[in-house]
Amino acid sequence: MGELVNFKDTSFYTNREMSWLSFDRRVLSEAQDKTIPLFERLKFLSITASNLDEFFMVRVASLLDMVNAGYKKEDIAGLSPKKQLALLDKATHELVKEQYDVYRKQLIPELAVNHLRVIEHHEMLSEKEGAFVDRFFAEQVYPVLTPMAVDSSRPFPLIRNKSLNLGALVCKKNGGSELEFATVQVPAVLPRIVEIPVGTDECGADSDGIGKSIILLEEVIERNIRKLFLNYDIVCVSPFRIERNADLTIEEDEAEDLLKEIEKQVKKRQWGQAIRLEVEDGMDARLLGIISDELDIEPSGIYKIKGPLDLTFLMKAYGMEGFEELKYKKHVPVDHPRLTGEYDIFEAIREGDILLHHPFQSFDPIVKFVKDAAEDKNVLAIKQTLYRVSGNSPIVAALARAAENGKQVTVLVELKARFDEENNIVWARKLEQAGCHVIYGLVGLKTHCKICLVVRREEDGIRRYVHLGTGNYNDATAKLYTDVGLLTCSEYMGEDATAVFNMLSGYSEPITWSNLALAPIWLKKKFLRLIGRETQNAREGQPAKIIAKMNSLCDPDIIAALYEASAAGVSIDLIVRGICCLKVGIPGVSENIRVRSIVGNFLEHSRIFFFENNGKNEVYMSSADWMPRNLERRVEILFPILDEKLKEEAMHILKSQLADNAKAHSLKKDGTYARVQKHGASRYCYQEVFCEEAKQKEKATRPDPIANHVFIPREKV
Amino acid sequence: MAVETFAAIDVGSFELGMKIFEFSKKGSIREIDHIRQRVDIGSDTYADGKISYKNMEELCRVLREFTRIMKSYHVEKYRAYGTSAIRETDNTPIVVDQIRQRTGLEIGVLSNSEQRFLDYKAVALKTKDFEKIIEEGALILDIGGGSIQLSLFENGKLLTTQNMRMGVLRIDEEMMEMEPKISRIRELLSEMTEHHLETFRELFLGSKKVRNLIVIDDYVSQIIQKRAAYANGGESGHNTSRLEIAQFNKFINELHSKSQEELSGMLGIPEENAKLMYISAALVSEVAQMCKSDKIMAPGVTLCDGIAYEYAQTHKLIPDTHDFVGDIVSCAQHIALRYNGREDHIKVLEKLSLEIFDSMKKMHGLGARERLLLRIAVRLHDIGKYVSMSLLGESAYRIVMATEIIGLSHSEREIVARIIKYNYDDYEYQDDKHGHNMNEHIDESELVIAKLTAILRLGNALDRSHKQKIRNISVSHKDDLLIIGVDCEGDITLERNRVDRCGSFFGEIFAVRPVIVKKSSVKK
Repeated sequence: MGELVNFKDTSFYTNREMSWLSFDRRVLSEAQDKTIPLFERLKFLSITASNLDEFFMVRVASLLDMVNAGYKKEDIAGLSPKKQLALLDKATHELVKEQYDVYRKQLIPELAVNHLRVIEHHEMLSEKEGAFVDRFFAEQVYPVLTPMAVDSSRPFPLIRNKSLNLGALVCKKNGGSELEFATVQVPAVLPRIVEIPVGTDECGADSDGIGKSIILLEEVIERNIRKLFLNYDIVCVSPFRIERNADLTIEEDEAEDLLKEIEKQVKKRQWGQAIRLEVEDGMDARLLGIISDELDIEPSGIYKIKGPLDLTFLMKAYGMEGFEELKYKKHVPVDHPRLTGEYDIFEAIREGDILLHHPFQSFDPIVKFVKDAAEDKNVLAIKQTLYRVSGNSPIVAALARAAENGKQVTVLVELKARFDEENNIVWARKLEQAGCHVIYGLVGLKTHCKICLVVRREEDGIRRYVHLGTGNYNDATAKLYTDVGLLTCSEYMGEDATAVFNMLSGYSEPITWSNLALAPIWLKKKFLRLIGRETQNAREGQPAKIIAKMNSLCDPDIIAALYEASAAGVSIDLIVRGICCLKVGIPGVSENIRVRSIVGNFLEHSRIFFFENNGKNEVYMSSADWMPRNLERRVEILFPILDEKLKEEAMHILKSQLADNAKAHSLKKDGTYARVQKHGASRYCYQEVFCEEAKQKEKATRPDPIANHVFIPREKV
Repeated sequence: MAVETFAAIDVGSFELGMKIFEFSKKGSIREIDHIRQRVDIGSDTYADGKISYKNMEELCRVLREFTRIMKSYHVEKYRAYGTSAIRETDNTPIVVDQIRQRTGLEIGVLSNSEQRFLDYKAVALKTKDFEKIIEEGALILDIGGGSIQLSLFENGKLLTTQNMRMGVLRIDEEMMEMEPKISRIRELLSEMTEHHLETFRELFLGSKKVRNLIVIDDYVSQIIQKRAAYANGGESGHNTSRLEIAQFNKFINELHSKSQEELSGMLGIPEENAKLMYISAALVSEVAQMCKSDKIMAPGVTLCDGIAYEYAQTHKLIPDTHDFVGDIVSCAQHIALRYNGREDHIKVLEKLSLEIFDSMKKMHGLGARERLLLRIAVRLHDIGKYVSMSLLGESAYRIVMATEIIGLSHSEREIVARIIKYNYDDYEYQDDKHGHNMNEHIDESELVIAKLTAILRLGNALDRSHKQKIRNISVSHKDDLLIIGVDCEGDITLERNRVDRCGSFFGEIFAVRPVIVKKSSVKK
């Protein structure tokens, strides 16, 4: 029966862009959720905005490119680029409208109730406040502004990608009635939020002096616009913002020097085709006409906004002092129970594999792993992949230090990490100067795997310590993203890790792999085999189950394999945070598949895979999502969890996520998501539970000096 | 440190390989890294006898990288060897010198037989139950790019080792002209190889079957390993389980109808290797059929393993589990047998010659390796008669030079061949090509040849009649005499006369004159 179904039928698939939009909508729903502290909701709204920015610059831009190039190939759901754009056009306008509804109708009033007054228009300033912002303008803003007028002798200026600008129509004083276009960029060097001191106005702050008033910088400039164009009369003025095509298409095979090429591309990016224009609703039609003509923007690319442009300023608002009771209490990652106090990281790993779950558990051991390796006299070599690292990364510093200490340090720096190139080039150079062997990525492939290998010479020979993870070596994001990582010194893992770096260094592939599976060559096949094995088991009447957690699911081969598995009776639970092109509940195709998405305080980022394997459970973790780009165009690693206890820990993570009824949304047959219903059960928020559990676990191992009647002198730091 | 780190470098024809090993005090060898890089110097060499500048540059670049990696592991000792591509360049010493100058690495050059011997050593030392397997009967099939090597074992002894020009790359090249589909390859290959394999079978096997087939190659080995491990319910990799031949054939049949691309996908190997893998698999299947094997195994050794095991074995870092000298001798014995060498005469001659050799240690200063060469020369000394009764020396020389003896280098083989030649013919001091006498800087190997020739001649003289009259001797040295006490009943006039005749050459070399003294007469 099942053989008759074509699992690749396009009607079984959801368009990935539309699926992505529904993800952004789920984030937006967090901003609407009244059970969440108000300032956290600001953060979520800000995230929806920055997400959308990237979506336009990358996804919409690339669809436009396709349409312009006459490319008609249909997507996974059978839609041509043109049809997709039409769908997106409608959906994005709706989403933006919802964003601003949330902003204006929910957040602004609630902020006011909570003593934060957002002055939406400069016209609403009191006299005293007006005087304050005018002084602020004169002292701080005016000196950094570059107003530009456009006439026949001066061309239309370059409007930078994602920059916020004020556009105006001006008319020469005494010069007749000819209108000229003038513009000024709202300087990015100044904070967007201008705080008006308490007491500036009687109604700004509450009588007891708590509370704040803020106004946005563009309003301050708008109020003072006349001072910029002294010889002109201002006819109208209004903010606008554009997004440009940011898709980097680097001709890797041709680039003599990849590094230079990217530097060039980064500069070029500001010149990319403008694809979206945001203007304040009510902008003068003549002004809008000039801007959209000059930028050559389609009418569908114009967004008339009821509220301030670029809501990402809300992230800054979140960071404002005060209002702590309106934010989550900051979770401080705690120590792994086996890595507390003063410990020898290598000894700890020798005692058994260690599974770290960030940000519940601290990322410090990984930093320590590299730092200690840099100083350890027995360490011969450190090899590591770096994708996105934090500014001032302690790991980069440790690697440089290791090279200075005479260790062989090999670092693969992925320059192609989107929007991060400039940052990457700087520290890549730093590493090279320190004497590290730096590999600037691979031609034609993005190196996305996260692996660190320390080769250590010990009494009984070489021993290799390996860290494999699902997240970047970034100590800053490790506090915000949920990721898992494994520390091990298993001989086979060590051999494989060595082979990985040999391959990354340009040597031939190893003859065999023991434990690891790598994309782009072996990984997809491995996943298909693992899924296929469950299908086979189900057909033979054995228990068969798959639980898979990832960020995105849109690989058609994997989805078809999952459909086939479901049709054969495999029970499949998917925890997919973002894009999911798979549809649930299709009769005979996906009735045994459940999809849920968790959008929580921490960004879900780990990738964990469970296969029942007829009772011999297998658990894997990976840097890869089930997306074609991960499986086919990137270097990714899938690693098994072999230690039975750690397998249980991993299963605990998966099961808790499946039990979550606070932050989980489940995918419905119609392709929409809905919050999981509690049905009378008590609230279970897995992220909160894990914060608590991590604390308990750590506490349990911490020696209690009073109970033990033993005081332990602290060692010199 | 209780551990010694060692690097083995294989400058192959199409690929550079390096393995890093650890030798522990306990006598174990552990591989810790394996680095491979494609550099096709073979095509240059085979096409015009020289390595192009570009490839030389690339070769040295990679080797310099290797030295960097060696440094990172604190490697103390290394051995680096070039094989056919280096060996067959017109200017091998210059190539070796260039590499030395540019990378600091000292590259040795291996003859085919030495190279195969190293492969074989790795198999013998790495394979569990190797002795048991060769006792059962085994054939090692070592598949190279240009040729394959068959080494046959019977009752635990190496019987023969034969080289055939049927390597995967060579076959691939020949096939390329015919552009066959994967499905046709097997048929064509069978036609191409049948004749050679039949000859091997007729010469060495007759109707016998060889139970175990041991495969050494770069392509199909990993698949045999995986299948074998799977069939035996074990983990993949690090395994030397045996696979039933029927299962192997079933596997090949599955591949039969696949395209190169599908093969690559199915087996997870690069597409360019897929065809070579199939050719390799088909070769294995042909050979398995020829020797009627039941079981097949692939220990997955490379030349680098061989280099490491050779080093470890000669430096006594691992226990001796196999008698490799015995293999060389046994192999020589079978060559002699093939050319109707007289077993009874050889046995006595070996005993006498070695007796003389051992008792003269202080006079000749030669070591165990030269003793082995003497043994081989003894074994093969009378094979010339198979070709010509009058040109005994020259014929034997030619046979030896055309016969591969596993474990001997080319120059060692030439030493053996010349010792045998001079056993019959007058010894010629070697002049250089311009006719200048080279005495001032005489080659070490010339001395070896001269000394061993003198000893072989003396030994031969003692059994001149080939009747084994003299079986036991005692050798002593007094003034300018080498006194050979013989224990013999019969008349030894002929032998005495012969000893006198070879005495002048012997004297020339060792400055002593051999004389026979009959022990029995002394007693009486």
